[in-house]
Amino acid sequence: MAMMPKRVKYRKSQRGVMKGNASRKNYVAFGEYGLQTLEGSWISGKHIEAGRVAATHYLHREGKVYVRIFPYKPVSAKPLETRMGKGKGEPAFWVARVRAGTVMFEVGGVTEDVAKQALVRVAHKMPVKCRFVKRRH
Amino acid sequence: MDKTLLLKAEVREQKGSKSAAKIRKQGLIPAIVYGHKKDSVSISLLEHDLVEGLKRGTKVVNIQLGENKETAIIKDVQYDYLGKDILHVDLMRVDVSEKVKVSVRLELKGTAKGAEDGGIIESQVSQIEVECMVTDIPSSIPVSVKELGVGDSLHSRDIKLPEGVKLVSDPDQLIAACNVVQEVKTTEELETEAPTAPEVITERKPKEGEEAEAGEEKKE
Repeated sequence: MAMMPKRVKYRKSQRGVMKGNASRKNYVAFGEYGLQTLEGSWISGKHIEAGRVAATHYLHREGKVYVRIFPYKPVSAKPLETRMGKGKGEPAFWVARVRAGTVMFEVGGVTEDVAKQALVRVAHKMPVKCRFVKRRH
Repeated sequence: MDKTLLLKAEVREQKGSKSAAKIRKQGLIPAIVYGHKKDSVSISLLEHDLVEGLKRGTKVVNIQLGENKETAIIKDVQYDYLGKDILHVDLMRVDVSEKVKVSVRLELKGTAKGAEDGGIIESQVSQIEVECMVTDIPSSIPVSVKELGVGDSLHSRDIKLPEGVKLVSDPDQLIAACNVVQEVKTTEELETEAPTAPEVITERKPKEGEEAEAGEEKKE
């Protein structure tokens, strides 16, 4: 299984509604450069892990990658060829809820060009449109 | 210190988000000037001039309001959700001869000693608060990290401040540290470590008696 919480209060959750834009986590806080989403979406644990691997692989142990989102929300699904009804399906995967403007990944300790290249590779793994951002002073 | 920036301003008659949005469409930025026990004035500034000033690290601005000229420091800048466009600026009136508390950007200079041993510099804070005369506000404070080996850290008290600038932030505040990057776990390692399902806090656990009963029922 990919990323998921260790303990949860409830096993299943309702889908919920995501309105508006990010009002927190919308600036580079830890590294020097970041990857900001331009759309609101669910980012699955697999996407996050793929992004993390892509960035660390490109950086060759130089610099540091910060992952600022975590999949806290369970998404349930019904097995294949099952008739409707008989209650809600079992949790199939976990997602992070991101709103437009959220900085998802950050990189520090490398030059701007290297950070950009690393984060472009991460952006290709993401299911949303992203942009490269710098820390605001 | 940078030259003070002269910004031409106009008084804003209308207030509220709709009129502010109209102003922004015209290439202006809504702002407010307050302080020195005078009435606060809502104004609009030219976006281009302000953005250029901010890029250069300007802290003090001269505002030309009709025939009046006021000196102010940029107290707060509000950005949109993407951190791209400026929405509003707070300007606080100051006297050139008074001392003010401002946050100044830190510039980490040099390559750390520990970089040779595989360490990287992790900056914890990008700004510190200082007290100085309005005319002495530095646009940034250079901080050398050359002497940092692996495991060393740099605190606010270690920063060499320019003359006439006093530290206001906590002297023990961590500025930067040189640490070795921990070996990143591979996806396979993470998968083997991670449980297949999380522990559910509210899940009802069967009592001992119930467990035995359930077992007997199954046998029957």
